[in-house]
Amino acid sequence: MKRFVAILAVSLAGALPAVSQSLEDLNIQIHGYATQGFLYTTQNNIFTTASSNGSPAWTEAVVNVSSQPIPKLRVAVQARYFLLGNYGNAITLDWASADYKANDEFGVRFGKVKTPSGLFNEIQDIDPSYIWSLLPQSVYPIGSRNSNLSHYGGVVYGTLKFDKKAGKLEYRGWAGEREIGADDGYWLNLREEGLGLPNGLGGVVTGGALKWRTPLPGLMIGASDIKNNRWEGPMTDFIPGNIFKGTGDVTMMGTFTLNPLNVPQYFAQFEHDKLMVAAEYSRLDGQGPIQFPGLPASQFKFDDREKYAMASYKVSNKLNAGAYCSQIFDHTIALGPPRYSKDWAVSGRYDFGQFLYAKAEQHFIDGTKQDYDADLNPNGLNPTTRLTILKIGVNF
Amino acid sequence: MKKFLNAFLLAALASIFVVQAKAQVIVIANPGVKTSEVSKSDLKDVFTGASTSLGGSSVVPILLKAGTANEEFLQAYIGKNDAAYRAGWRSLVFSGQATMPKSLDGDAAVVEFVAHNAGTIGYIGKATPHDGVKVLAVK
Repeated sequence: MKRFVAILAVSLAGALPAVSQSLEDLNIQIHGYATQGFLYTTQNNIFTTASSNGSPAWTEAVVNVSSQPIPKLRVAVQARYFLLGNYGNAITLDWASADYKANDEFGVRFGKVKTPSGLFNEIQDIDPSYIWSLLPQSVYPIGSRNSNLSHYGGVVYGTLKFDKKAGKLEYRGWAGEREIGADDGYWLNLREEGLGLPNGLGGVVTGGALKWRTPLPGLMIGASDIKNNRWEGPMTDFIPGNIFKGTGDVTMMGTFTLNPLNVPQYFAQFEHDKLMVAAEYSRLDGQGPIQFPGLPASQFKFDDREKYAMASYKVSNKLNAGAYCSQIFDHTIALGPPRYSKDWAVSGRYDFGQFLYAKAEQHFIDGTKQDYDADLNPNGLNPTTRLTILKIGVNF
Repeated sequence: MKKFLNAFLLAALASIFVVQAKAQVIVIANPGVKTSEVSKSDLKDVFTGASTSLGGSSVVPILLKAGTANEEFLQAYIGKNDAAYRAGWRSLVFSGQATMPKSLDGDAAVVEFVAHNAGTIGYIGKATPHDGVKVLAVK
């Protein structure tokens, strides 16, 4: 029902150009987009969907309302309906912010703001803006997208222009509080072991990013770093009862702690005429204790090395084609398929016009370090997966 | 052979008109904008949302909704077709980095709007009367 209402709302908003025009006179704009995806896998069920049977459980709808009361000030809010398998199925506040841009060298936005880390984080949810059906999952896992996308706090930004021989330097700095939701993909494996984070996990986050637009036209080189303070939250451990021993279900309450961590990202992008080439490397290295009363603390640890390289080419005004290779390795896991995921993807996008487009993508995935739900894969995981994605989108 | 020559001449004439047409779009600005010339690179930055200043003045781009001048401008200075260009702006809107520039119905409307709104910059066909605005030379 939520899904239907969300799509209907976006469609109605898009079908009211007269209203949009009158709002434009008041410096208020309404924009939106909606996408419907279809997933099919030949082996494992992926992203908590029943994809091996073919699954249409991937729907998104976004409405954006913005106003510019004075030239240097913008106020905007964006709401989203997101459904992917067992993720989402809810309408959430994407971001809501006020933005004051004094000049090209300095601006500030605050509220619930998008986190400008990495190459694509700010636009990773904006399906109309790229060719891919699915961004490289090593760096931009879709099950954790809502958590990584934004934070409560502020961002300062600007562009420093040098002479023609030195290019331009874009900077971003941010601080605030981020929350990883209770149903986030990061917790998928914990949930399957009966461990839950009923309030999610959150805390203070700071970061900075630099993008150097080099003197070579089209070439950008950049780096960003995210720093999380110590995050702590309540954790539950559900222990099912044993009818033979006459014991009932038990839920223990404990504490989950993620020690301070840094997430460095390095990236580069080159665009020339119809060609785009990009690459990114990131490392997610963290650890912390899980403590239940009366039991010794257990330690968890992860050390993900994430990277991808991609290229796309505009074949014609309407057709875009591309491919990427995305890899993730967790160096704390023993050798074998659960340690890694290597994903080769071939993608195509066709724009029917300014408002309507379709995408098709084929993935060749080796390894099982992906969002695989054990309940949906009761016979265990196959070390390889072939994933086909079809998607249609509309935006206005 | 004669038919071939006629077709060739027609094609040659058409290409001349196309080349001439490319020079038929001009960039205009409100008279309050300090500069009188703009580099292609700066013009692209302003019309893609990467920059909001030009020669020491804050500027706001004004777009044409459609038409020959719109297509010529986007091809010559932005390097994109209209659909791809507006998709780029929508990315900025959906990521909270910009609002969509105002799009007007015709060249005369752009002249009228730019003439009466400080800091605005637009583009029109060269043949359109453009009293009340300044023409920026694109270097």
